Amino acid sequence: MTGSAVLNTVAIGDIQAPHLEYGQLGPMLLVFGVAVLGVLVEALVGRGWRQFIQVPLTFAGLAGAFVWILVLGVKDKPLHVAAEGAVGVDAPTLFLQGTILVLALVSLLLIADRQNGAFTPQASALPGSDAEREGIASGTVQSELYPLMLFAVGGMMLFTAANDLLTMFVALEVMSLPLYIMCGLARRRRLLSQEAAVKYFLLGAFSSAFFLYGTALLYGYAGSVRLSDIATATGNNAGSEPLLLAGIALLSVGLLFKLGAVPFQAWKPDVYQGAPTPVTALMASCTLVAAVGATLRVFYVALENMSWDWRPMMWGVAILTMLVGAIIAITQTDLKRMLAYSSIAHAGFLLTGVIATSQAGLSGTLFYLAAYGFTTIGAFAVITMVRDAGGEAGHLSRWAGLGKRSPVVAGVFAFFLLAFAGIPLTSGFTGKFAVFKAAIDGGATPLVVVGVISSAIAAFFYLRVIVVMFFSEPAADGPAVVTTIPTAAAVALGATVTVVLGVLPQPMLDVAGQAASHLFVR
Amino acid sequence: MNTYFHDYLVVFVLVLLGAGIVAGGLGGNRLLRPHRPTREKLTTYECGVDPVGEGWAQSYVRYYVFAYLYVVFAVDAVFLFPWATVFALKGYGPTTLGEMFVFLGFLAAGLAYAAKKKVLSWV
Amino acid sequence: MTTLDVVFVLLGVVAVGAAVLVVTTRQLVHAALWLVVSFGALAGGYLMLTAEFVAWVQVLIYVGAVVVLLLFGIMLTRAPIGRSADLDSGNRWAALAVALATAGVLVTVLVRGFRTAYAPLDVAGQGAAKPLGESVFRIWVLPFEVLSVLLLAALVGAIVLSRREI
Repeated sequence: MTGSAVLNTVAIGDIQAPHLEYGQLGPMLLVFGVAVLGVLVEALVGRGWRQFIQVPLTFAGLAGAFVWILVLGVKDKPLHVAAEGAVGVDAPTLFLQGTILVLALVSLLLIADRQNGAFTPQASALPGSDAEREGIASGTVQSELYPLMLFAVGGMMLFTAANDLLTMFVALEVMSLPLYIMCGLARRRRLLSQEAAVKYFLLGAFSSAFFLYGTALLYGYAGSVRLSDIATATGNNAGSEPLLLAGIALLSVGLLFKLGAVPFQAWKPDVYQGAPTPVTALMASCTLVAAVGATLRVFYVALENMSWDWRPMMWGVAILTMLVGAIIAITQTDLKRMLAYSSIAHAGFLLTGVIATSQAGLSGTLFYLAAYGFTTIGAFAVITMVRDAGGEAGHLSRWAGLGKRSPVVAGVFAFFLLAFAGIPLTSGFTGKFAVFKAAIDGGATPLVVVGVISSAIAAFFYLRVIVVMFFSEPAADGPAVVTTIPTAAAVALGATVTVVLGVLPQPMLDVAGQAASHLFVR
Repeated sequence: MNTYFHDYLVVFVLVLLGAGIVAGGLGGNRLLRPHRPTREKLTTYECGVDPVGEGWAQSYVRYYVFAYLYVVFAVDAVFLFPWATVFALKGYGPTTLGEMFVFLGFLAAGLAYAAKKKVLSWV
Repeated sequence: MTTLDVVFVLLGVVAVGAAVLVVTTRQLVHAALWLVVSFGALAGGYLMLTAEFVAWVQVLIYVGAVVVLLLFGIMLTRAPIGRSADLDSGNRWAALAVALATAGVLVTVLVRGFRTAYAPLDVAGQGAAKPLGESVFRIWVLPFEVLSVLLLAALVGAIVLSRREI
């Protein structure tokens, strides 16, 4: 146990100035920089202009970062440890960061769509008060939303790239905090939205504490928070076993919470239901990618020598997650809650890829994340389109007969549901096939059996929604389908990617395979 | 390491001394002064005006932002100390100097935003 | 046991005792003030371990800023001053069991993990601001900068949620 290992690593004769590789950290720094610029825009620009500046600025920031990542990925062999070892810039990281950015761009289409009016004009106004009515009448929006979103996206990018647990913790907070706030900004059903924000905040803070305690114990074990040092220490059996095992357990709680794996899933349905739907889309896609990315890195790099110890635990969590997600989803009558449980089940499928701890497992998980992210954003985008007088018509009974009124919208939604279920010729099938195959190769056949069973259970409730939409009579006062260009674009993008990755998955599989070919840098 | 604990022993003794002066002053006062309370004397002193309402008032959320700003700048100050000890050392130099100003610049952006939103002005 | 050990143990007892009072007192404001005592005793503990910079950070941030935030938070609510009758929840026995179990597990882990581990306390100035500064501004530069982003995001978020004027 070396209490002052961190201090000792500063060599005495070292007179090199501390060095940040701006080129490799560029995408992240760009996102953070644009976010700060957004805050300045909020401060300096008049109310009427803000929205018109913020939206293009945010688009430009995210798109610029994505292009930068493409350049990094194509140009050099990305296998670096940057920022004095705090960040790993390697192919899987670039893939994950790129996925986060693209999914964030699609989510931004939903967030920026002012006509769907998902966001409250004034968060501090009491629900039902005069101040709230005035705010709605004035037609303003809180355009701080865009910098907050950029902060969250930057945090997600750092979360997947963090090469030590301390950086990972800071990134976890940077990604979570803006999301807590964004959850509380829904225009309709304010109380539900605020409840979601408070619940997410309290449980999230609690899980961060677990993460931090686990970090402390692992530091006690290895004398370092660097993932590679922890791997070396576990390889040498250098420290005391109880610290290591307790550290792994507590750290996993923190990570699995963000993933929404059972038994840490309780926040997901409430938060997904209460949050404004565009924010839900952002969380269901980008946050999931970030959480899985960090989980992959921790388990593939720091704890790879310990796989015999953590595997049984992760098996249990994955099985519970798949089954609980699929079974409870059957009883849901609210579509957003149902998709939340479906997201829990998908977290379980992703965990089977993590458990495989192989190159195939990594590439399968990467592909799955990209495919699922697009499908889920598309599905939430459809939910924002189907509206009643009081906002989105979230209840399943309101969707009765939608297929007869708006066959295109209902058809696209049905297609997304089939992709969730993993029907062939959709991206969901390819993704599930990839992770399940990797899991079987990794000797986790029973897990795959459970996965297939829960897919079948899940297919039942997806089909139930399809039956309700197409085979029941529409109510006279049924919801209207409101189509706006940005939302339609998000739906179209989601559907296109779901089709393409289902019919012609090979190019994307190749990219994911190439990204996974060197595993993570250490 | 004896000097370390010795130094802090001095600090501790000083703290005790300070506490002793306050306690001694108040205690001596208590022993020497007459003690004849009446209802009027026991009411809360509020600039000479009769106190109104209870001792407890629900405060506005805007004061919470002041408290939060205090936290932000306390954290900021905490990093200034270690920074001040190292930025002039060999091997740090302008990079480290600049880094702190980037840090401060980000917070200044937040302060500018807060000022513009009239969070800082007294209402 | 040397004098230092005795002082350290006494500080630990104060910290734990004050922490128990935080959750058992019937007056909300007193709970916040007992937290000051608990944090202060922890700071003393850090000092005894020669981590002087961390100790003063504890005083500045936790005893100072965080408790102020907590008191403002209490004042935002309609909590009555003085005793509150309804602070007890029916779950308190379950909560006690969970707290004891957690403490048991963590104490066991720490005792078993660090039983034979000793860190030298007699390295001059190892807990001062300078060595910490050396590692923060060399190894942890990126997390340090990102921390300012976190503070900024939290500030913007607090203002978004609280302000009346747009």
